[in-house]
Amino acid sequence: MMDIVLENVTAGYGFTPVLDSISLKISEGERVLVAGTNGSGKTTLLRVIARLLPFDGRVTYGTSDSGSIRRKELASVVSYMPQNGETYFDYTVEQTVMLGRYSHMTGLLASPGSEDRKIAAEAMNRCGVYELRYRALNELSGGQLQRTFLARAFAQQTPFMLLDEPENNLDVRHNSELTDYLNEWASGTTELAGASVHNTVVAVMHDLGQASLCLERVIALDKGIVAYDGSINDMVATGRISDIFGFDVTGYKRRESKLWNLCK
Amino acid sequence: MRSKATGKVCIIASVVGCIAVLALCIRAGSVYISLSDLIKIIWSHVTGNNPGNVAPMTDSIFWTIRVPRALTAFLVGGALSVSGAVMQSLLQNPLASSYTLGISSGASLGAALVIIFSASLPFYSQACLPVAGFVMGLLTVGIVLVLSMRIDRAVSNTTVILIGMIVSLFVTGVMNLLATIYPDHYKQLWMWMTGSFSSRTWTHVAILFPVCLAGTLILICFARELNIMSFGDEQASSIGVDSRKMKIIMIVVSSVLTGVSVAFTGVIGFVDLAAPHAVRRIFGPDSRIVIPMSFVYGGAFMALCDLLARTVISPREIPVGAVTALVGAPFFAYVFLRERRHS
Repeated sequence: MMDIVLENVTAGYGFTPVLDSISLKISEGERVLVAGTNGSGKTTLLRVIARLLPFDGRVTYGTSDSGSIRRKELASVVSYMPQNGETYFDYTVEQTVMLGRYSHMTGLLASPGSEDRKIAAEAMNRCGVYELRYRALNELSGGQLQRTFLARAFAQQTPFMLLDEPENNLDVRHNSELTDYLNEWASGTTELAGASVHNTVVAVMHDLGQASLCLERVIALDKGIVAYDGSINDMVATGRISDIFGFDVTGYKRRESKLWNLCK
Repeated sequence: MRSKATGKVCIIASVVGCIAVLALCIRAGSVYISLSDLIKIIWSHVTGNNPGNVAPMTDSIFWTIRVPRALTAFLVGGALSVSGAVMQSLLQNPLASSYTLGISSGASLGAALVIIFSASLPFYSQACLPVAGFVMGLLTVGIVLVLSMRIDRAVSNTTVILIGMIVSLFVTGVMNLLATIYPDHYKQLWMWMTGSFSSRTWTHVAILFPVCLAGTLILICFARELNIMSFGDEQASSIGVDSRKMKIIMIVVSSVLTGVSVAFTGVIGFVDLAAPHAVRRIFGPDSRIVIPMSFVYGGAFMALCDLLARTVISPREIPVGAVTALVGAPFFAYVFLRERRHS
């Protein structure tokens, strides 16, 4: 069983910790939503899991410890899509997505082979950027850029995917397609060192309705600690959601859904 | 999107064009030489045969003065441009270079100290200047990085460039001070502050050539990592690049390239900004092509600037650093502003 386990993890950017001694376990095959108010530590949690931030405590990936696992090795276990990725230079969509194949290429001057091209093309296709593959990044809209980075994360072919607000900037159709693709992907497996591992999503999303279409478990953070860990449905059914966000979420969502009741 | 075939044609055309520029730079000057004589001279020295009916005086002017001078200019221009291209990708900033990071001014200070105190290495005296240049260049960029980390925990690239400029100006101030305190060396130090290729010999070429070749080849080997790193440390790490290790390797190799170049010729700006920028416009941002092409374009640009430096107000020479700035700055400003308007 391939699990990611966090033990007493404390992390932050200045002197005040953003995550305060958090312990949790994410098992393979889980579909996890990370929720919470702005600044509650959601992105920090993803960055700790991807080991992009120094932290106190311990994170283990299966049998490997975060202190000993090499970067390239980790990049074949966990992929991470940041909230806003960009670069000054005019890489094309295809070049950008192809960079996700890095951890699969061995040798000093290795260039992408036909297998890499196939996987990158598939990822671009599924994220709806295949037609844009020769376009430079700075010619893309926010949503197109978002889908390019999503495609790069998929091209990395890891069993664990960490997505930080993947629905940002996406129009309603692409949001729906993203949900479908995540569902399909999450029910599959990925080969890792000869074993097949159930695909696992850990995503920060703000739209709980959309999240509930593809994710099941919710880890809600509040001021750096885990305020709730259970199913999304239970969190809403018990009304705990309003405690976590500190206002009447249920009432707000009921008012919001009136629009869709207009449909005959 | 340019097709692969057009890309290859562009690369070959560029290399041929740059060799032509180099030939022009060797040929042009106050002493005239026909192209056939030039080929005869070079051929005779390469094969060790008699150059035939070429006057010994002409032969000596070309073989001992112009050829090494043009080659030095080419190698230095190439080395500076390659290190500029790497710094820009590494710091995701088109205005980053060895010059803006203080490596150049640090290296020139190293060279100045060697000259003033007539320092020498016990084993290989020829290597003293380049070693001093490299060590001081690396030391300066080290100071820049440490200061940046102190001031800005995130070590944002803007901070690094700002601190680089400050340290660079400070080191230039120290150079000026030294030049005033040691008036005997004023002329030499002035040359190191503005750059010159005058009286460069085959000895310089013999040291520069292997250093440039090795440095550029090492950087080409890490071009794939450099591409990934131009998306920033966080994304590079999540894709699987050990960005800390890579940064150290690339900064050290770039410092060697810059340090050795500057130690021989002085501080020359702009080529390291303009050449990689032009190359990216033509070939796209892929470092696997940008690095070698920056060498070719930067080398040709520098050789041309040196040609202007020694011919425009001949027999007097303009410092080549002034020429690159006079030609490069307006060109760079034009390209940059035009792009801004487009985007």
